[in-house]
Amino acid sequence: MKKNSFWSPYLAGAGLGFTLLASFIIAGQGLGASRAFTVVAGKALNAVAPAYTATLSYLSKYLAGSLFSDWTFLEVTGLLIGALIGVLISRGFKVRFDRGSAMSVGMRVMTAFGGGIILGFASRLARGCTSGVALTGGSQFALSGWVFVIAMFASGFLFAALFRRLWS
Amino acid sequence: MSAPFVLSETVNLAAAVVIGMFFGFFLERGGMGNPHKLTGVFYRTDFAVPKMMFSAILVAATGLCLLTDLKVLDMSRVWIIPTFLWPQLVGGALFGLGYLVSGYCPGTAAAGLASGRLDALVTMIGIGIGTLLFSALYPALAGFYNTSDMGTATLPELLQVNHWVLLAVVYIFAGIMFYFMERHERRGQATIVKTVLQAVPPSFDA
Repeated sequence: MKKNSFWSPYLAGAGLGFTLLASFIIAGQGLGASRAFTVVAGKALNAVAPAYTATLSYLSKYLAGSLFSDWTFLEVTGLLIGALIGVLISRGFKVRFDRGSAMSVGMRVMTAFGGGIILGFASRLARGCTSGVALTGGSQFALSGWVFVIAMFASGFLFAALFRRLWS
Repeated sequence: MSAPFVLSETVNLAAAVVIGMFFGFFLERGGMGNPHKLTGVFYRTDFAVPKMMFSAILVAATGLCLLTDLKVLDMSRVWIIPTFLWPQLVGGALFGLGYLVSGYCPGTAAAGLASGRLDALVTMIGIGIGTLLFSALYPALAGFYNTSDMGTATLPELLQVNHWVLLAVVYIFAGIMFYFMERHERRGQATIVKTVLQAVPPSFDA
């Protein structure tokens, strides 16, 4: 997809900001994403190994209630639909395996999967991700949001200097 | 009656889908489903992520300040993200590494998948497994996870300033940041144009 087929990040960001504000007004909570992953993965594990899942005390709060009564799961379902609408109207939809120019396909499987595991673990440790802590907390001037944003960018810059050939 | 509205469970869950649709639409339109754009900030080639993130924070924060002061929104009934300083500092740093390596974060991976990226699906599966890993290790991590509990600490409370003062500081900070990012990106493009012009034969001008 050509770079200039996207909107200005300021315009898209303003739209995202109004969406976040609407979420506060309508639902009394901000946006989220990582919770949906924990709910789905927890329920999948529970289906495969219920005895083991029962021993994981941390998961209990994610297993209560059905999938379709979980606010964040439904919101992320909407996210998939909304993003699909966005990509279809701009004719940008294309099935592909996206990777850095210096990455082999095998290497990309490892970075996508390994990076994902780190993201999942880190979101649980930080009690949320870029949506739940950074955007939502940041706009509330919650200390958590700003601590997370600073730590995330500082760490990203540091590791990018170490892994220079990963994406650039 | 002030917001947030007291909605029935069904209406609230239907609202979640609609809010999510707008969330996903703007993420995708901002290029946030593209791992090259998402990681560009760390290599200083594309600053779309901080531009979009800070624009969103400024719009939402301005709205919150305004609606709270007008007594339209009752912040005591809005879920404030709690602060656990050390776990969030370490979690945020670890998250930065995962974001750089995978090229996504949880929400943007979903946007990436919606645009047809199967690598984003691999990342989404990894995220699910990562959260299970945390759950499995939770007994050993519980101590650290619950340290430095600061409750719903907000910067205006901690710094003893009015939220409008803080908002003004964030506007100024973001404005300066946007200025330097635009300047840096223009310079980067100028270098690319120069390289391309040098690479083509002189007859290009004719």
